[in-house]
Amino acid sequence: MTDINQLVEQIKQSTDYQTNKRILREKITTDLHFAYNGGLFKATPELFSFVVCWNFEELFLEDTYQNPIKVNRKEFIDVCGQHYQMVMNRWHIEYEELKRARKV
Amino acid sequence: MKNSNVPAKSRGAVIFAHNTPTVDYKRIAEQASRLIQHTLKLPVTVFLETSQTQDNFRIGYAHGTEWYNGDRYRAYELSPYDETILLDSDYLILDDALLKILDTVDDYRMMTNNQTPASAANNSMGATSLSHVWATAVIFKKTNKAKQLFDLIGRIQRNYDYYRRLYNFSARNFRNDYAFAIADNIINGYQPSQGIPWTMLTADKPIKKLEIKNNNVILREENSAHVLPRQSIHVMDKDYLQSDEYVEFVDSICQTN
Repeated sequence: MTDINQLVEQIKQSTDYQTNKRILREKITTDLHFAYNGGLFKATPELFSFVVCWNFEELFLEDTYQNPIKVNRKEFIDVCGQHYQMVMNRWHIEYEELKRARKV
Repeated sequence: MKNSNVPAKSRGAVIFAHNTPTVDYKRIAEQASRLIQHTLKLPVTVFLETSQTQDNFRIGYAHGTEWYNGDRYRAYELSPYDETILLDSDYLILDDALLKILDTVDDYRMMTNNQTPASAANNSMGATSLSHVWATAVIFKKTNKAKQLFDLIGRIQRNYDYYRRLYNFSARNFRNDYAFAIADNIINGYQPSQGIPWTMLTADKPIKKLEIKNNNVILREENSAHVLPRQSIHVMDKDYLQSDEYVEFVDSICQTN
């Protein structure tokens, strides 16, 4: 194989960091969603902080589909917090791997 | 009082697969079923050789082919499940995200956002038409509203030329995406319903190889490669989906936990 052919093959194996990063972020957005008591929520810092600050043990939260969902505060904090932590950890790990991947 | 004779709500996936002169959709659906059963742990029903859409042809797709896509509106009537994930056979289920929608769906939900590796933009069905929705993945329960949706899709299909002109589509051939978009718009008082709140990934270019590496999906195209997180992918390249390489890829997925 000539040098130029080798070069072409190497270019074909290259991967675009910005594209991979965008697609990974979209996937994390997908994964941040979780089902709770018949509602679909996206685990965000705002949602988590709001529920943590709430003074009563029971409340109603609007879900992604604009339905009011009955929520047990302590249980929701556990579910939402664990889900957020798990997904964000995975994002960090996969992002670090992506930064290194230039050729696959 | 709980009646123990009442069965729990059944759940499953439905695929329509009708071979064309150039595409063996039955073969593609077999592999899609394996991925669904492995990833979602749901039963799959594949409908073959049902009624056809007359004179439907798709240019620039699977080398230009006749296209038998006219049965989708019958999914409500034919699905044996109370809660159904209706999928295209070219949608590779590699994660369980759709189960969250199945857990929370009221009547129906469909994909409303799409991206390709090259572009994050979602397009419309025509310059002055509705926003694109994707009938690639539709989740529905057997409710009155869902039935109305599918009945209306059937009516749109039977009168497609009228609706095509009314909604200013750029394409002339029958597309389920368009019929679902119109029906959804009408059912919801002339506005779109909320779809699945994330973005579908479509591999729109010819594929040389797909592989799993460190829980990532490596998508190799002719002139580039993409490192994707493990997620479901809508694959447009029907040649790849009919290849032995694709079967090997599905084998490798089904061997993992």
